[in-house]
Amino acid sequence: MNVAIIGCGGMGALHAQMAANCGHKIVLCADSVRKAAAALAEKFGAKVSADPLSAVAAKGVDLVAIATPTPTHLPLIEAAAQAGKDIFCEKPFCLNTADCKKAIAAAEKAKVKLFVGHVVRYFHEFEAMRAKAQSGEIGAAGWLKISRGGIFPGAPGSWFRDYAQSGGVTLDCMIHDLDWVRYAFGEPERIFCQTLMRTEPVQLDYSQVTMRMKNGLIATVIGTWAQPSGFRVKAEICCSGGMIQYDSADAPLAVQPRTVAAGPNMIVPMSPVEKSPYQMEWEEFTTWLEGTGTPRVTARDAMAAVAMAEAALKSAKTGQPVAL
Amino acid sequence: MSTIKIGIMSFAHMHAFGYAMALKALPDVELTAIHDDDAKRGRAMAKQFGTRFVADQAAFLALDTQAVIITSENARHRGMVEAAAAAGKWILCEKPIAPTVEDAKAIVAACKKARVGLGTAFPCRYAQPLIAAKAQIDAGALGKVYAVTCTNHGQSPGGWFADEALSGGGATMDHTVHVADLLRWMLGKEITKVYCELGNQLHQDTLKTDDLGSVHMELEGGVQVSHIASWSRPKSFHTWGDVTMDFIGEKGVLSVDAFNQKITVFDDKLGRAVWAGWGDSLDDGLVADFVASVRERRDPAITGVDGLRATEVTTAAYKAFRTGRMVKV
Repeated sequence: MNVAIIGCGGMGALHAQMAANCGHKIVLCADSVRKAAAALAEKFGAKVSADPLSAVAAKGVDLVAIATPTPTHLPLIEAAAQAGKDIFCEKPFCLNTADCKKAIAAAEKAKVKLFVGHVVRYFHEFEAMRAKAQSGEIGAAGWLKISRGGIFPGAPGSWFRDYAQSGGVTLDCMIHDLDWVRYAFGEPERIFCQTLMRTEPVQLDYSQVTMRMKNGLIATVIGTWAQPSGFRVKAEICCSGGMIQYDSADAPLAVQPRTVAAGPNMIVPMSPVEKSPYQMEWEEFTTWLEGTGTPRVTARDAMAAVAMAEAALKSAKTGQPVAL
Repeated sequence: MSTIKIGIMSFAHMHAFGYAMALKALPDVELTAIHDDDAKRGRAMAKQFGTRFVADQAAFLALDTQAVIITSENARHRGMVEAAAAAGKWILCEKPIAPTVEDAKAIVAACKKARVGLGTAFPCRYAQPLIAAKAQIDAGALGKVYAVTCTNHGQSPGGWFADEALSGGGATMDHTVHVADLLRWMLGKEITKVYCELGNQLHQDTLKTDDLGSVHMELEGGVQVSHIASWSRPKSFHTWGDVTMDFIGEKGVLSVDAFNQKITVFDDKLGRAVWAGWGDSLDDGLVADFVASVRERRDPAITGVDGLRATEVTTAAYKAFRTGRMVKV
């Protein structure tokens, strides 16, 4: 299929490569920053656009991959759907559930496929944890804790630093884990959250969540954009007959350059595996496009994840738990 | 120096063992007698520590001791403290000082009335990694502290710990007070609000109490804290549990894992790896301060009021779960 990449930052570039690996053709790269679009377009021999909203409706494009700031997702999805394009949208789906509903309605009305990239569902270590916990081999899960995060993403002035646009670590980063806990252990009952969302004297966000699931499981989820450096994921699942632990810092490969050039906005943790989780995500999405498979994450799942993050932020504001 | 004579009341709590060892290691201190309502246990301990067993509490308190360490079941602390205070003994009471705020207040009041020193056994304040962490915070390494993430995990102790009439509650009762005290001590702020989800799914068949509490706290000045109090470590785990605290501050972050001073031993006989700790003893510092407080006729460094404050937090956690609200302490 002919693909337009909308938003040519780090994630846009990653999705372009994954799409290309799946046999899709990158025909158009759009970014309001023309230089970013041009740089990515050159790699794939694609056209360049500095107008994302018109690019999603461009002729000769079958599929759009949206990797822009979260508040732009809804208008881009609506425009793409109206133009009959299938859609890959980076997470978080939208800023709030109301926008998610509109996006789903637009896709359904236009009969286009809408996929949201909750890539943690494709991570090998999370699949291994889910399989082990669900197998019952070490009893039933009663409590789990997941911590995720690192340095605050984005340079000064970046949209990540505007909490109204990014939703902070809770909506942008912790949403991975909120989604995964629901994926592995079912629907949530209620959620409690404390979050910093500081801008002064330093910009940092730190979010601490306790979520009660309908099956009784308690999930403690920590999201951090408060670390001075790096990125780390830790998980622990306690069961009635044992326990599962994972720590990304305990990794098979470590490379330390003697000098460090300016890095990307966010360090994306990559396991040295034959097929990356992003590749698996794109392959599964492609089977759906071809009518031969169904993805493990739906737009409604992505909306449920936004609802959980939204409830968490509401709890943080009111200082009380929020029922889901 | 004159010899300080100390008795131990009950070995119901396993920490009594460490305190007895610490007493035996100190110069000019005599472990004069052991009292225990479980005579078999009391006699065995008296034999092990080379002292005598006194079955009758009144006779035990009539001995010429200056102080007692009370390591009975949580719900029995109050009766023993009141009797020991009335007998003029300096008191070191195991944590939690009591299962209820009412009992904790009565304990503090009884010692005040009798003009005896009262300490709460929070040995974590004598853990070198935590002392070093506090020194970093005090020196301003983090600037203003905004948030803390804590754990106090353990294995299910069973026995009276799981009998609410004696313990007052499960893992949350057992494993919230250490961290509540550490937060107060390290940050110099009181805990003002508490929220909690309780669980019992890890030991549903064997425990009637909670085996886990996911506790959120707010400290004076709005510091945000989450804490896991649990008996969640499986039998196959490489150690008993942990005390960890991650501080998020203006100028940096600090992570402390208080008992992570160990070697890992792979033991074919056990069929698993186990940690063997080499860090300094916590009990030695706690007990040495208590002995000094007896000698100097002062309160121990960690007072009965510290114990009361921690119990206020724990009882607020249970109340928060019952009401489904974040509650004031």
